[in-house]
Amino acid sequence: MSEKNLTETQETRSELMSTLASSRFTRLLRNLLIQGGPVIALLLLALYLQSATPYFWTESNLVNVARRTSVLVIFAVGQTFVILTGGIDLSVGATGALAGSVAAVTMTQQVNVFGVKFGPVGFVEGLAIAMVVGVAAGLLNGLLVTRGRIPDFIATLGTLEAFRGVALLTTGGLPVPSYYSDAPKARSYLPSEVIALGSSDWLGIPIAAWIALVVVLVGAFILKYTAFGRSTFAVGGNREAARVSGINVSRTKIGVYMLSAITAALAGFVLMGRLNSANALMASEDNMNSIASVVIGGTNLFGGEGGVFGSIIGALMIGVIGNGLNLLNVTDFYQRIIQGLIIVLVVIFDQWRRRRFGT
Amino acid sequence: MATGSPLLTMERIDKTFPGVHALDHVDFDLYPGEVHILLGENGAGKSTLMKILSGSLEADSGRILVEGTEVRNNSPDRAAKLGIGMVYQEFSLVPTLTVGENICLGDMPRTRSGMIRWSEVYRRAEEILATLGVEINVRARTRSLSVAEQQLTEIARILAQDPRILLLDEPTSALSDAEVDRLFDIIRRLQERGVGVIYISHRLDEVPRIGTRVTVMRDGRVVGTLPVEQADKDTLISMMVGRRLTEQYPKTITEPGPPILRVENLSAEPFLHDLSFEVRAGEILGIFGLMGAGQTHLAHVLFGLEPVTGGRIMLDGDPVNIPHPTEAIKQGMGLLTRDRQASLVPVQGLGPNITLPRVSQRALLGLLNLREESQTATRYVEDLSIRPAQIKRQVRFLSGGNQQKVCLARWLATGARILIVDEPTRGIDVGAKAEVFGLLDRLASTQNVGIVLISSEMPEILAMADRILVIREGRFTAEYAYGEATQEMLLKSAS
Repeated sequence: MSEKNLTETQETRSELMSTLASSRFTRLLRNLLIQGGPVIALLLLALYLQSATPYFWTESNLVNVARRTSVLVIFAVGQTFVILTGGIDLSVGATGALAGSVAAVTMTQQVNVFGVKFGPVGFVEGLAIAMVVGVAAGLLNGLLVTRGRIPDFIATLGTLEAFRGVALLTTGGLPVPSYYSDAPKARSYLPSEVIALGSSDWLGIPIAAWIALVVVLVGAFILKYTAFGRSTFAVGGNREAARVSGINVSRTKIGVYMLSAITAALAGFVLMGRLNSANALMASEDNMNSIASVVIGGTNLFGGEGGVFGSIIGALMIGVIGNGLNLLNVTDFYQRIIQGLIIVLVVIFDQWRRRRFGT
Repeated sequence: MATGSPLLTMERIDKTFPGVHALDHVDFDLYPGEVHILLGENGAGKSTLMKILSGSLEADSGRILVEGTEVRNNSPDRAAKLGIGMVYQEFSLVPTLTVGENICLGDMPRTRSGMIRWSEVYRRAEEILATLGVEINVRARTRSLSVAEQQLTEIARILAQDPRILLLDEPTSALSDAEVDRLFDIIRRLQERGVGVIYISHRLDEVPRIGTRVTVMRDGRVVGTLPVEQADKDTLISMMVGRRLTEQYPKTITEPGPPILRVENLSAEPFLHDLSFEVRAGEILGIFGLMGAGQTHLAHVLFGLEPVTGGRIMLDGDPVNIPHPTEAIKQGMGLLTRDRQASLVPVQGLGPNITLPRVSQRALLGLLNLREESQTATRYVEDLSIRPAQIKRQVRFLSGGNQQKVCLARWLATGARILIVDEPTRGIDVGAKAEVFGLLDRLASTQNVGIVLISSEMPEILAMADRILVIREGRFTAEYAYGEATQEMLLKSAS
């Protein structure tokens, strides 16, 4: 082949490549590869489980997975906001347990708050109380990080311990409701609506999953369409640029911690329904799992990039792994090892894929 | 010109990024003892070529030969072993380590048992800095140094590795004239030792001072390679931009309107003392000062980024309190920060970056108009010819000049009446410079924007400003009208 021909072939080739790169189809494929890594991993995992065990792809099992995962999804939505700003909230599990515990106590006995006696309250008041606890916890985290000027990691590590402590004090270290309670007007059951939240279905799908879906949609909407959502990305993407552009960095930070704590409180409330009781030490695994969900979901741990939809995939991934290992009769000790390895592998795969196909 | 066989040959280097053909079969060579200057506008492909040479990027095709031997599987590590040393534009120093540690990083002197010999680390660092003729405390933390000192430390760090091929990417952009002279002395000494130097710069007047040959790149291709004797400024500029630049400093003289910004006895201790001035509508007020004279603090104070300790700021005759940039933006002010990176969100596209200041003016849960956002972005991409013209492209992939246009577009979008620009042409090429000035002139003369132009580049401030205030140690020392001052007068008032 002559020199001229060779050059021409190369030019045609590069033209072809650029045409390909701009066509709609390849763009779609590239976007799937860039953004859809966790989805691909989840599908592969589901395919494998379907062939490995006859029980995985049955309605009752899938409903079970949805029920178990819903709480984690709710936790993960709030966590996504915090991580998008470049922070981290280690206290979500403890916040959820605290909110659940406080609500459970007020719903099952008479309480005395600074001399004001009330209760046992009903479902709506209980839910409101859980939310108030969430708001307060989030405000505290936010103020520690902004006014206290301490790293997010340290602030929430501290409140993680403190919130557990308060929850233990509130419940006296017992599950609530408890048969052993000698509190005034004590009841031995939670309101039926609470139980329904955790264990009933609507249109064949667990109510908890509906709640998770709503939380995800609201979260996604806030992120994409509101000034607060945009500020969240900007603060995580470049704090200094956000400040120079007039964005109130502290207010944004406080906002994400409040949002995280509110979703955590809601998650704790739903979890209480599923467990049929609350205790101060519940949701201890959801803490780390919520962070893992966000990271598996492709949100950058340093902030600025990502979103809530990825976090659902991450949470589902964790839920499906746990469920699959149960179905395969893998004992708990091995389950932990395998879960840990899979999380790390997914993120390694994700990083590699981004480098390879990244923009 | 140096003779013999080439030290380095790069043949038909090709590199494509998604959507951009960054390097189109580029040939480049370097002989021992020569300084080969690489010129080109931002985004021409100089940095990509150098990153391929230093092993931090992989070429799609093409060959690299060092002293006639092909380099395969290049990596930063491998390039360093081959004697290729690169001084990056963004410093690669570890800010929390000492100067000495940084200089010896990667090759710490050790005792036989493998322990670090700290006295040797600092002795060696001092020795290398001494050859550069600078005095920097080698035990100081790097982050406590000035930008110029960091740049010199960076150069010292690379020289410590004793490279045969030295890449310098705009090494003088942060240096004073005396420091530049010393750097050039060192480059000449390296030349005598047979080291080949590749020198990237935007400063055309450096070409005849230090260069042997010049290669000009444009849009990922080599436009031509000339011996330095044939490379006069006009030839180089037309090669770089692909056309003759009609005017480097477009300036329309107009009669300025009423004062819009008035500053009375403004202080921000310990940086600024008792400053009074006014900016009129449609006027470009130049503020000239040497590095660290307080001009950046002034920009920050006006924009609410730093606290005021005395005096007052008035807009349209009414005193205002600007505790935070949110308020400054609300009052119709805009700030182009000295460091572009401090203004941009690198992982976001053009739209969000351009509309960021508007976001801050909305209620927390106020809704964004995403359609309008992309329309705004599209409009300014066309208006300011931002390249590549893809509004979804993350701004970290844009060249410096295009990033600067994104920053400017931001304040056009908010309709700022007062625009403070701090070194707007720092690190951008001739073509983009002319475009930035054209835009500033248009804003002032046709839209009555009051512009505060902070600059330490004398030619640009002399050509563009209607009035020049000279600042020294936080105080104004002189005021000149357009056409009144010369470079000598500015320097005298500033030092």
